[in-house]
Amino acid sequence: MSMIRKALMVGFLGMLLTGCASKSYVVLLDNPDGSTGKIVVRGEKGEQLIDKSMHGAALDGSQQPAAIEESRIRQDFGAAMAARPQLPERFLLYFELGGATLTAESQALLAQIIRNAASRPAVDVSIIGHTDTSGNAEQNSALALKRAQSVAELMQQQGLKAHALIVESHGERNLLIQTPDETPEPRNRRVEISLR
Amino acid sequence: MTMNRTLFALALLLPLGVQAESQAIGFVKNVAGEASVSSAGNVAKADVGTPIFTGSILKTGSGGSMGVTFRDETVMSFGPNTELTVDEYLYAPGQGKLKLGSKLSKGSMNYVSGVIAKLQPDAVSVKTPTGTIGVRGTNFLVKVEE
Repeated sequence: MSMIRKALMVGFLGMLLTGCASKSYVVLLDNPDGSTGKIVVRGEKGEQLIDKSMHGAALDGSQQPAAIEESRIRQDFGAAMAARPQLPERFLLYFELGGATLTAESQALLAQIIRNAASRPAVDVSIIGHTDTSGNAEQNSALALKRAQSVAELMQQQGLKAHALIVESHGERNLLIQTPDETPEPRNRRVEISLR
Repeated sequence: MTMNRTLFALALLLPLGVQAESQAIGFVKNVAGEASVSSAGNVAKADVGTPIFTGSILKTGSGGSMGVTFRDETVMSFGPNTELTVDEYLYAPGQGKLKLGSKLSKGSMNYVSGVIAKLQPDAVSVKTPTGTIGVRGTNFLVKVEE
């Protein structure tokens, strides 16, 4: 091994050992869907971007992100990870053209949504109406609310029981498929059910 | 059941997107050991279903743990000896109002970001005594040692 490589290796080991000596630190994990996001730490001593899973950095921003050992993660975060609630679940319902009548497929999904809701502790449910970007934003808000309300009534008739139920409209501002303004897009005309 | 009906009626009566200040922004989903939620100065033992409001302080004791889920599907869970304050919470995508600012004073947390981070990543942050974490749609762990 050349001197340079040796020096690099010693330097690298040194970084690993001191890399996360700090007791206050953050560790990035894979998202539940398998993708990896990013976090930025800004502290008195600098700013660090972490974009690799199982890498961490001190909260004061003083150190480059470095790999964190699984055993240390288990020791420091085992209890917090074990306390993670069941992740929220989301369903999409679609409508026949030009009204508040659900498609047959969406209609058939309601019973399953109600069953899943019943299996969650203190379930809180949001029924959220959305439109595409065709038409003006205010009218779209009202239309999306009307659809959400009709779904809420239907689900309550079919026996939905919730610790809390919120019916709301995101109008055209929370698109599933990104489009420019004034773009008809059937997949954006939807009601989302969020079970938490 | 009465509470469900009341909440439902409220949601329908309120003008579009205007949320009552008293509206819950999340709920406790599981608790083990000693844990509490303080809202508007009232400290209550945390139970499954305990509501969380803007300004609530969530605490666990030694040996305690707690998991909470917010309206935008953000999920936070805490290990023992932890204290988290929900400083700001705005979730009205219809009005473009989005914000989730929290502060971890001590302890350990697992954070899975939700819709607010997806729609407006720069609106989500976790403050700690030594630095601030900006969340770009993700799952992470954070520990604050006093």
